[in-house]
Amino acid sequence: MSFTEFVDGPFWYFSLSVFVIGILWRLIGLLSMSGHTDLSRKRGSALGGGLHSVMSRFIPLSTVQTRIRVRTVASYLFHIGLFVLLLFAAPHIEFYKTHLLGFGWTPMPHWAFVAVAAITFIGLIVLWLHRIMYPVTRSVTSAADHIASGLVFWVMLTGCMALGESSEFLRVLHLLMAELLLLYFPFSSLMHAFYWHVSRAYTGAHYGRRGVKV
Amino acid sequence: MSVDMDTFRGFAGQIAQLGQMAQPVDLPDYERVARVKAEFDEKIDQTRATFLESCVRCGVCAEACHFFLETGDAKYAPVRKMELLQRHYRREHSPMRWLFRLWTRDITPDDLMEWQELVYDSCTECGRCMLVCPMGIDISDMVNVTRQAYAKAGLVPAELTVMQQEQSESGNIFRTGPDDLKRIAAELEEEGIHVPVDKDKADYVLVTSAIELLLFKDALRSAARVMNHLKLSWTVQSCAFEGANFGMLSGYEDVQATLTNRLVGAAISVGAKTVIIPECGHAYPAVRWYGANALGERLPFEVLHLSEFLGREVRAGRLRLKPVDSERVVSYHDPCKVGRHGGVFDEPRAVLKALGLTHHELPDHGVTNFCCGGGAGNFLINRAQPLRQKTFELKRRQTESVGAEALVTACSSCRMNFLGGADASGWDHPIESLVELVGEQLDDGLGKRAASRVR
Repeated sequence: MSFTEFVDGPFWYFSLSVFVIGILWRLIGLLSMSGHTDLSRKRGSALGGGLHSVMSRFIPLSTVQTRIRVRTVASYLFHIGLFVLLLFAAPHIEFYKTHLLGFGWTPMPHWAFVAVAAITFIGLIVLWLHRIMYPVTRSVTSAADHIASGLVFWVMLTGCMALGESSEFLRVLHLLMAELLLLYFPFSSLMHAFYWHVSRAYTGAHYGRRGVKV
Repeated sequence: MSVDMDTFRGFAGQIAQLGQMAQPVDLPDYERVARVKAEFDEKIDQTRATFLESCVRCGVCAEACHFFLETGDAKYAPVRKMELLQRHYRREHSPMRWLFRLWTRDITPDDLMEWQELVYDSCTECGRCMLVCPMGIDISDMVNVTRQAYAKAGLVPAELTVMQQEQSESGNIFRTGPDDLKRIAAELEEEGIHVPVDKDKADYVLVTSAIELLLFKDALRSAARVMNHLKLSWTVQSCAFEGANFGMLSGYEDVQATLTNRLVGAAISVGAKTVIIPECGHAYPAVRWYGANALGERLPFEVLHLSEFLGREVRAGRLRLKPVDSERVVSYHDPCKVGRHGGVFDEPRAVLKALGLTHHELPDHGVTNFCCGGGAGNFLINRAQPLRQKTFELKRRQTESVGAEALVTACSSCRMNFLGGADASGWDHPIESLVELVGEQLDDGLGKRAASRVR
């Protein structure tokens, strides 16, 4: 078995399995923990508060908007760009078709692919620079956070290098990086992708029943 | 009766001596660490685990924290304040604990000492960081859990320890007990203000606090006048008049529950339909939100903060006030535990409107209001004074920026903190109590005698 076959075949299925099982393991572990009931008389709606908190936090509170503007913009560029690339980049759709789903859908044009990749990369780099330059984030960032950022960086970099779709080596290198990221994902703070709405909802519900929209 | 700044300074001076009276809790270091961990084990549930799992260390919380904003010191970022709990969670509770344990540091005695400043001196559990967290993590809850763990380990700052020790023994604070309440009630009776102490049956139970008996007497006087003016069936119970709960502030949960149950039990025994909490921030959640949970069943009465009660009566047209005859501009400071943690925002503003005051909102008000800087017992901790003073400057700037001539609030702790800050910096803006302003404009013929305030 060649290296390319290994990355395209067994290692892909292995990393995907670790990714799925790891995420389920963490989510089930969390859900199996006990909660608590609140006997106090409610003033407002927990459901309404929870929904409000999930949605309202997409836009930073006006009181801090100015101070975190760079971070907010970079965060949106990175996250939206990442999902657009994952879902609408032609090579990705082809990969899903051959390796996972058996069907594909209309990809975005190549020029858009290049533009979105550039924007997403810029977003990631700005976020990382903010992390190492801003004293607060620098003081609380662990090695594990840097590994997560680094893996995403390499996935993005090799992806950009493979944009021309002319080198098989670069494609395999990009896939290998993506597989390493999948392997690391369940063990890292990247899991926030599966927690953010739950965490927001818990807090929103707690304060919502007190009549406070947060 | 008047309270002037000399009286305030004398009271503040006595508070500064508190720490010397604390009985230290002697425990070996390993025992302290073990107790902290055991408490963390007990307190980590699904909600907190989700919070601890969700943090991406983006640092946005720092931008909401008055301690960070005024010092610029990264160690005061809220995210750091929950680090001990987070590390313990990752090592012992996370579904990936078998792996995370390899690189996550265990809690050490040195860590406990370092974090004491972070969870007591530089966090007032105001909850403002929760507002801006993209993940919605309630860091104030994490800090509260850490305080509870510190209480188990005997690591509560001396000032809070001594207050907690006194209150766990007698139920009272500042050596102010039932006899003092009855004496003050008798003095008020001489002024023509009836204070029904220890009635067998009453619809309303008014809670007060030692700080109102010793320092802010006009607050109790005004509250009593309002109750009489509205012709309500009310009482103050000498066995349970103290609203302050130093079990809650220090982190001693069992003491917190005992003190809350004392108030709840007294209200149930007189058949109260409503319990009114005085102008004290944390006293409100101690009964309003934790009362039923401490009792183990729903409370058979309603719990209202005094500002909430006044606003409700004003809005219903039952409490009519004489508008002030000046154009004075004031700003209202929302006490964190009553506002952001309690949902009382509109009622105090309705009172200010009824008083005819020109109210200019602070740049950050209502749910986003900045803490006074001394909440959650911080105002008693001597070594935290320089930090408090810095955060006071933030409130001072905001008050001046909207052209307010006075700052009004409905919390004795906030008031104490503002008075201390103003005194230290020579700020001449009056710090007003909402209920005292109501007392001045109450048309019962007793207003003149109560028209005295600090500054």
